[in-house]
Amino acid sequence: MWRCPVRFDSFEHLLSHFALSTPDAPALRYEGTTLSFAALFQTVQKRAEELRKGGKSCLGVLCDGSLENVIEIFAASLAGLQIVLLDASLEADVLKTLIRYTDVDLLWGDEELCDELSLALMAGVKDGRGKILFFTSGTTERAKAVVLTDRSLCQSAWNGSAKLPLSPDDTLLCLLPLGHVFGFVCGLLWGLSCGACVALGRGARHYLDDCDFYRPTAVSVVPLLLGFLLKQKCINPELKLVLVGAGDCPPALLQAAGALGIRVSFGYGLTETSSGVAISVSGDPYAMEVCPDDTITLAEDGEILIEAPSCMMQGYYKRPDATRAVLRHGVFHTGDLGRFDEEGKLHITGRKKDILVLPDGTKIFLPEYESALMQALGHTELAVTLRGERPLLVYSGEGDREKLREKLGELMRTLPRGQQIADILITDEPLPRTATGKIKRWELQQKVSDKT
Amino acid sequence: MTRQEVLEQTKKVIYDCFPDMKELDLQEDSVINTDTAIDSMGFVLVICKLEALFDVRIPERQWQKLQTLGDVVDAICKRLK
Repeated sequence: MWRCPVRFDSFEHLLSHFALSTPDAPALRYEGTTLSFAALFQTVQKRAEELRKGGKSCLGVLCDGSLENVIEIFAASLAGLQIVLLDASLEADVLKTLIRYTDVDLLWGDEELCDELSLALMAGVKDGRGKILFFTSGTTERAKAVVLTDRSLCQSAWNGSAKLPLSPDDTLLCLLPLGHVFGFVCGLLWGLSCGACVALGRGARHYLDDCDFYRPTAVSVVPLLLGFLLKQKCINPELKLVLVGAGDCPPALLQAAGALGIRVSFGYGLTETSSGVAISVSGDPYAMEVCPDDTITLAEDGEILIEAPSCMMQGYYKRPDATRAVLRHGVFHTGDLGRFDEEGKLHITGRKKDILVLPDGTKIFLPEYESALMQALGHTELAVTLRGERPLLVYSGEGDREKLREKLGELMRTLPRGQQIADILITDEPLPRTATGKIKRWELQQKVSDKT
Repeated sequence: MTRQEVLEQTKKVIYDCFPDMKELDLQEDSVINTDTAIDSMGFVLVICKLEALFDVRIPERQWQKLQTLGDVVDAICKRLK
């Protein structure tokens, strides 16, 4: 099998390598346009020169996944600007806060939105060369900007390619947002660093027809998107490999993909590790092999600890305390729980941060607890948090408190008193969730506090 | 095309995509863009079908701000040619 031969140190290294070795090979496709590696490098160099002359130092990119979006990121990197990748669908006020926090002095993206945000622009940075900031929305805390570099991202792409290589004949469909590290590395860099063509998805409105339009052989998706593509029967016959990340994938989806002759691999990683550190390559898709540059150990309580010198973040932007809390002596404490099987493969078993610690010292493991509540109530849009020191059920949808209590009665009687639901909050608001569907625990807690 | 006609056709698209929702008798203030009604991918499907039906284009940035059936109808009416 063809294997990615080069470990790239920077975007410039990657682009220049293929511009010389396979200049005419297609690098990027977007709508009706195809750019060869030579044309891509030339375009990026030209734009980098313009950015250098502009005299700015920190570019905020309002990501839309377009060809120009990719070129702008690469060009800003070549020009030595700090790059901040922003989710353009966020509220303007939120974006302004993120822009101020990260010292952005130049914006790229939708013109109208850039105008609206321009008042938030800052004075820039002095030492931003090579840095690329991704926002991570942990399920229990405020979003933080993770400082990665073009080097760490390229190394991460190599790391994944070493386990799951693409060939220059492949077309990788990039459907995920570039502002998320999984989308950036596994939707874009994975393909380019293997010399393959990357077809850039044309946005959510084309989820139904992008596979038919681009005829990809590989795609990176989150489980929700895989379910959608399978259910709507919009997968092309040439598609042979699906890389799933950023969430649990139900077995039924695997079976449906397998029936179409598609190989499904899971990737496990975090923004802080520049994306994947373990990936499944054969047999059981839930059993993942650790990538070559990474060392994974388990703490006594099962927490997954990662050493990834080539791919590790520099830290959280301007938040040294938050960095020290999770990155100690080069070891990243993930907050995820796992186990190794007899073959040394990693299985993810849960999330440590999904634990409520009660005043009596007992703990509630939320996924398990909420699953039992969902079963008892026949309703999935619910979550548990603390109000004061007691568990509160947040029930999103229409419901009657007394009837819900009745339904919960049998389950509650099986639990210690301290773990029983003390109250029910019925709301017509949706639960706050991340892009991958995880409940934003911190935000939920805030909403409950605000209503109390 | 009147607003009422847009409303009725929008409801029809939703019911076609999600037959279970016929039982809910959707009103203008019904919250539809939520996992208790239509999940995020389902909402993508509905918007795509509505854009094709009415020949309009609602910027993706606006999609998640459309919470109720009335919001969706407003977004379409605003862009009708």
